[in-house]
Amino acid sequence: MTINEHVTVFAGLPVAAFPSDEPTPDADAVAWRISGDWDTTIEEFGNLFETFLSTVDAAAVRALIIGDWGNSYETTAPIELVASAASRLPRLRALFLGEMTYEECEISWIKQGDVTAVLDAYPDLEIFRVRGAEGLRLSPVRHGALRELAFESGGLPGEVVRAVGECDLPALTHLELWLGTDEYGGDATVDDLAPILAGTRLPALTYLGIRDAEISDQVAAAIAAAPVVARLSTLDLSLGVLTDTGVIALLGGQPLVHLQRLDVHHHFLSAELAARLTSELGEAGVDVDVSDPQDPEGEDGHRYVAVAE
Amino acid sequence: MVGNPDNRRVAFLRAAAARTGVLVRQVVPWRELAAGTVTLARRTLVRVDSPGEDAEVDRLLRGATAPARHGEIVGLRAWYRGLRAALTRLAEAADRADALLLSPPDDVLIMFDKGACHAHLAAAGVPVPPALPAPGGYAELRAAMRAAGWARVFVKPAHGSSASGVLALQVAQGRVRATTPVELAAGGALYNSLRVRTYTDERAIASIVDRLAADGLHVERWFPKAGLAGRVVDLRVLVVAGRATHVVVRSSRTPMTNLHLGNGRGDLAQLRTAAGERAYRSALDTACQAASCFPGSVQVAVDLMFGPGWARHAVAEVNAFGDLLPGVLSAQGRDTYTEQLVALRTFAPGVACAT
Repeated sequence: MTINEHVTVFAGLPVAAFPSDEPTPDADAVAWRISGDWDTTIEEFGNLFETFLSTVDAAAVRALIIGDWGNSYETTAPIELVASAASRLPRLRALFLGEMTYEECEISWIKQGDVTAVLDAYPDLEIFRVRGAEGLRLSPVRHGALRELAFESGGLPGEVVRAVGECDLPALTHLELWLGTDEYGGDATVDDLAPILAGTRLPALTYLGIRDAEISDQVAAAIAAAPVVARLSTLDLSLGVLTDTGVIALLGGQPLVHLQRLDVHHHFLSAELAARLTSELGEAGVDVDVSDPQDPEGEDGHRYVAVAE
Repeated sequence: MVGNPDNRRVAFLRAAAARTGVLVRQVVPWRELAAGTVTLARRTLVRVDSPGEDAEVDRLLRGATAPARHGEIVGLRAWYRGLRAALTRLAEAADRADALLLSPPDDVLIMFDKGACHAHLAAAGVPVPPALPAPGGYAELRAAMRAAGWARVFVKPAHGSSASGVLALQVAQGRVRATTPVELAAGGALYNSLRVRTYTDERAIASIVDRLAADGLHVERWFPKAGLAGRVVDLRVLVVAGRATHVVVRSSRTPMTNLHLGNGRGDLAQLRTAAGERAYRSALDTACQAASCFPGSVQVAVDLMFGPGWARHAVAEVNAFGDLLPGVLSAQGRDTYTEQLVALRTFAPGVACAT
């Protein structure tokens, strides 16, 4: 599976493209998607961004999606450009950096950079989503407003995971990490997740997604005893390589019946284990998603995460 | 008509003829035309259908002694030469019989030469992705990509059909990846498979490209396609006598949208909503514009790609025999074959578009 279409809703707002032939909506009524084309240069993207800031009522903009900045497999994300516009985007609360499809640039090739600058520049930002992890860096920060943080990748570097664990995010309710595979730089280990699973610096967390992970089974085993689980309403282990081993550990660990939702879709479970998971937790009122089953034996002996390329 | 008598294309045409009261005077087997001269019934309209899906016709067109192994990509240039010779014989036979070919050889031959077809469309102002000069091999391809500053291209055999031998190639940050239905067998032979696979080993990719290049390549910049319902989509637009009559959404989880690769048809109404009526209409206009570059052909099938934001579009391919679209009906409720037979009542070969 690859990511094949753009989001149409972001931060609860419908997405509007810029530029567009359609009538211009109110600046605060939509999530603006600014994207170059397949033949855009980074300089042209910079001009496009400036045109956006001076065309729409930038002071009212609430949500922004940065799509293809041009040759995104070779050119680093325009992080400084976005960070330096902070004074002109005082009401920006949601940012998606690198919202591209496979056809534009496959996820594991999207060149990111040090995104700490974005969090520093936008202290009121509430939603920050990043796609792609090539060259991605993060320094531990304290950010008092951030509610939702997501790193979508085909391979998330361990040092980024460790940095997330060292961040102080008192308002964060939603943390989503796509660990991917080590083939694409996803070298995070369960130990790297330990501070997150302890939850010490994530007092408000209600959704935890450790998704698209080749190490799903190890993650599941760690989660079975993780302190953070007690405060979650949603546990998301979808898109990864979750097998019977992981689910047996999960079911043998701490009670999960307080969850509203457990999502393991795209899994490698046997029919028996999938049924057991559904019945044990489903009867307790947990909404269990075991859809999109993969062949437990894998393809030619390999089990793949859902999104790597 | 000229066709492979046992092929379902011929059966579909016969059924449409029965429905519309058109008399099928003669089915000239491609095996006959591929082997030598043919005689056409006098003063007829001659439908030229695909020579494909017949190993013996393929062997005859290539002038080979043995048929190709199942799925093997071999002798495409020889096949094209054979096609040219056969269609030339057909044109001579049509002259002798005072018959009209509904797909003139010149049109068909351009459509089966992707480089020529791309140039033909571009010269007429039809939006197509930019192309590289045909490379003689992998090293030349990479050099041309560097020179153009392109990291992502579609590499197509010049004389292939459907996705046969096509590679979606991307190169960046010292990595290379090719997504393709081509299977590289031990010994270097190439096969078309129904499974799209990915190669990251540059030696394997180079070996495939080098082998394909011997029979001619056409390379275009990878035009990113729009997505819908989680899949990559493009359109197959059949243009009959100047009108876009049948439209199929082709949807895929890979960059190859060709329907035989296990891909599905998408929801046209959903696509029209996503694209917006203006962008959709503009795309159909482009399909008609592309078709008008083949004014002697009663039908051509245009493969049309939308960009991810739907605002832009480009023509990927124009197919001479792309009208096999079972179950797809026009606004008048006609299948592709019936539509063409109805159109024949008024069809007059047009004038060539300015090139």
